[in-house]
Amino acid sequence: MTAMVKAEGIHKSFGPVQVLKGIDLEVQTGEVFCLIGPSGSGKSTFLRCINHLEKINGGRLYVDGELVGYRQKGDKLYELKDSEVALKRRDIGMVFQRFNLFPHMTAAENVMEAPVQVKGVNKAQARERARELLEKVGLGDKAGNYPSQLSGGQQQRVAIARALAMEPKLMLFDEPTSALDPELVGDVLDVMRDLAESGMTMVVVTHEMGFAREVGDSLVFMDDGVVVESGNPRDVLTNPQEERTRSFLSKVL
Amino acid sequence: MTVDVNKTDGPEDTPPAGPEALKAIPVRHPGRYVSAAIALAVLGAIVYAFAQAKKINWGAVPDYFFDDRIIEGVLNTLLLTVLSMVIGIVGGILLAVMRLSKNPVTSSVAWFYIWFFRGTPVLVQLFVWFNLGLVFEYINLGPIYKDYWSSFMTPLLTALLGLGLNEAAYMAEICRAGLLSVDEGQTEASHALGMSHAKTLRRIVIPQAMRVIVPPTGNEVINMLKTTSLVSTVQYVDLLKAAQDIGQNAGSIVEMLFLAAAWYLILTSIFSVGQYYLERYYAKGSTRSLPPTPIQRFKAMLPARRPKGVSA
Repeated sequence: MTAMVKAEGIHKSFGPVQVLKGIDLEVQTGEVFCLIGPSGSGKSTFLRCINHLEKINGGRLYVDGELVGYRQKGDKLYELKDSEVALKRRDIGMVFQRFNLFPHMTAAENVMEAPVQVKGVNKAQARERARELLEKVGLGDKAGNYPSQLSGGQQQRVAIARALAMEPKLMLFDEPTSALDPELVGDVLDVMRDLAESGMTMVVVTHEMGFAREVGDSLVFMDDGVVVESGNPRDVLTNPQEERTRSFLSKVL
Repeated sequence: MTVDVNKTDGPEDTPPAGPEALKAIPVRHPGRYVSAAIALAVLGAIVYAFAQAKKINWGAVPDYFFDDRIIEGVLNTLLLTVLSMVIGIVGGILLAVMRLSKNPVTSSVAWFYIWFFRGTPVLVQLFVWFNLGLVFEYINLGPIYKDYWSSFMTPLLTALLGLGLNEAAYMAEICRAGLLSVDEGQTEASHALGMSHAKTLRRIVIPQAMRVIVPPTGNEVINMLKTTSLVSTVQYVDLLKAAQDIGQNAGSIVEMLFLAAAWYLILTSIFSVGQYYLERYYAKGSTRSLPPTPIQRFKAMLPARRPKGVSA
């Protein structure tokens, strides 16, 4: 297996506040990689660094063997142009905590938007593909609905379909179920489970320990901008080695 | 994020459909009848005072209402309103994007423009444009165009520049507020899908900003329609100027002012209807179902037509 994401000593600060203090980790192709930790531990920030929504201040971050946001020539780093960054983001799907669906477009139009506008797929083809994807996430009958007419769980599944429409090789999930009513969480997790079974590489920031244990291949516990403990989710969650992991898990489990 | 427009009739307007309707004598409100009577009396007195005024020759108003000169004035007013607003909106969007840009020079230039044009009265600006010939004697665009400033600066151009450039400063602030009202998550989601800055702005941000931009822009259009009456001072023949000219010749100055007022009311009313439907269009997706338009409501009030051949 090759590493889809490789992080070497990632540092990130917002002004004087250091959020990431040297993150090293590897996400293998085809695995489900879960990031857990208390809020403010930097896990969402790290996820956003992977598709360059946040610029890192130090270290090296690779996706599929290529540097994120920069080009290296000799020993000098050059910032990538916006258009080059956009080109790389096509291959990385992202699902947000607050869904961020486009409210002025129907579910189908949300899913069609990027393929049509970015890849230049013709509309009829994109519409057909959008229908398939909405079918896949269990919303085949909601294609014509606007986001405001859908429940939170339905909106999040549309958001997953929207990300999948670009046929990414990597999917990032930023607490995808945290803004949902408890009874709607299951539907979204089912879709993510199906996606994992199809072999998609997924990096998931989550508070759903059950999902991490069942579906996750690797798990990292982060606190205060560093990786505290990592390994197989079943081992880490049932038999944590570090005191900080133990105290966190005792609060959430 | 934004205010919901058109939040009107909800389900609470439908009569209660229970097994037995409650019967109760409603509370009487005698005060309402009294206040209504007073209001009507005052209104009637004002109308009467105007109608019986012997010094005003009301007959002159219908006589000149569709006079060719008036109609030409109306068309000129409309033309000026539309063109000034086009300059204002295009300039406003440009200035708003400049102000939000990361380049400190462009954002300062936009700031300065807005500061200057918002900070001086539009009537003063009109006079300045009108008298700019004191600064520039000729206009010389090389081989393309060369003329005296005074013959280049026609009344229409003076009016357009004066009103349009002033309007751009106001529109810039309206557009900026609209762009800022769109949640940052929308931009992030769009970028995460690989869309460029320009596409994000055009496809995602602007359509959502329009909901915030359209209502105050409608106000601006109506304001502009009325502000165009200032251009009579720079020799442009708009509705007011046409009415004044007729009034002076026919000796019915006040009558023609009433005529102009009536025309302004008609025009602003038409614009208001247009604004209503434009707002509905951009409310798409923001409310679960749009409230009915007045026309739809009126149709719903008519007794439903029964299909033929079905007895009641």
